[in-house]
Amino acid sequence: MGDEPTQNGKRFDPMEPWRGVRDVYMDAWAKTMVDMVNSEAYAQASGAMLDTYLTVSSPFREAIEKAMLKTLEQLAMPSRADIVSIAERMTNIEMRLDDMDDKLDNIQRLIAQPGAPPRKELARAPRQKKAVTTKQAEPTKRGKK
Amino acid sequence: MAEAPVVTDPFTEAANRLKTLNKVMTTKAAIAQTPKELVWTLNKAKLYRYTPVLPKEKRHPVPLLLVFALMNRPYILDLRPGHSFVEYMVNKGYDLYLLDWGVPGPEDKNLKFDDYTLEYMPRAVRKLKAVSGSEEFSLLGWCIGAILTTIYAALRGDDGLRNLILLTAPLDFSNKQGLTFARWVDERYFDIDKVLGAFGNMPGEMIDYGAKALKPVENYVGNYVKLWDNLDDPRMVEAWHAMNTWVTDNVPLAGGAFRQLIVDLYRNDKLMRGELIIRGQRVDLSRIHANLLTVIAEGDHITPSCQSEPIMSKVSSRDRELFRINGGHIGIMAGSGAAKHTWPHIDGWLAPRSR
Repeated sequence: MGDEPTQNGKRFDPMEPWRGVRDVYMDAWAKTMVDMVNSEAYAQASGAMLDTYLTVSSPFREAIEKAMLKTLEQLAMPSRADIVSIAERMTNIEMRLDDMDDKLDNIQRLIAQPGAPPRKELARAPRQKKAVTTKQAEPTKRGKK
Repeated sequence: MAEAPVVTDPFTEAANRLKTLNKVMTTKAAIAQTPKELVWTLNKAKLYRYTPVLPKEKRHPVPLLLVFALMNRPYILDLRPGHSFVEYMVNKGYDLYLLDWGVPGPEDKNLKFDDYTLEYMPRAVRKLKAVSGSEEFSLLGWCIGAILTTIYAALRGDDGLRNLILLTAPLDFSNKQGLTFARWVDERYFDIDKVLGAFGNMPGEMIDYGAKALKPVENYVGNYVKLWDNLDDPRMVEAWHAMNTWVTDNVPLAGGAFRQLIVDLYRNDKLMRGELIIRGQRVDLSRIHANLLTVIAEGDHITPSCQSEPIMSKVSSRDRELFRINGGHIGIMAGSGAAKHTWPHIDGWLAPRSR
């Protein structure tokens, strides 16, 4: 039966030889594809495809945007540009709040440690003097990406 | 008494495999589980502090801030329990912070490196200092995050930055022949105005396609073949599931930052040539004095070593180290060998410099 172990303890797998062939084929395929995407011709072709897509889709995108804008206007609803503008203003307010938060942190720190110098004036800890070194780690398995 | 072997018929086995396949392909793995608290937010950016597990006297006094790329989720640093750089460093006694850039919306399409490095990062660092009580800190930047931390270190070197760790840092773009991305975004073929005019921000799906297309067979076929071959191995399935959850969770890149990445860096190599201007200031790498560790992945096809090496001769840091490790762009930090090689080396380098 298929579940019976072989001499080395592993179950007989009739697909094993096929996997070997598959892996060899995929390695060759992978190398060919890497060479292809590294070529000038691929860069030119992919650029042309993207450019064509953007050119062809542009009138449709513009038409949809205009129609959407009109619809939102008719419904007295804010457009994307309006929301973007509000979001930008919110970020600016957040920055102001962040500045105030920092000032409060500083005040708290000065109250806790009277006479403490402002942060930027604190001296940096001395560093050890060392020569430039280059190290090589032990080999590991290659990563995925 | 010996247990009787469990006999499964081929149909049950096939059904179980398909069930597992269906699960990992259609669900999200439980990721980023190390306990943390939110200590600061600005727009979409969030600063997290990981809950320390060691008492204060056993922790390193200098906190560490992790800065990941803009177009991927940062939880790759905290992928799953037992396989998490964050968990590892917290257990080693670091006061650990993570800057999550969030997902830019249409209102963020004009955000540039200028904003990230001189508006967001200084504020996050300010909060880190207030929370940790330390005036000095360490920075770890990975991929595009390494570009941001390098710019920050050059422009805000007096801000208490003691240690700078750059992981697979794409900083030098002079070797155009060695960079596939550089060829793809060449101004003859890639109209950046048209792309950003149409999308505003660079869509995450397009960035994902770009990263995967560098090795199309491995990423679009081999990855799934590997899963199929190992469906009976729960540990392998769990690892694949977590990684797939991260890989498929794409984030758009703010239009302004994408334009700088392509025009200023990929096309004109301005950072290494000392011509990059950030809010009117020239980014001079020789102004970096922090202790520097640069980690290079030897098998990195996204950031080849020629992009990370040259910074070593540009900075003024007296204490600097170049560490090479076999592995890929992500694999060196999230792969099976990370816990044995990369993480201990980072800890070994950082610990004596965090006292």
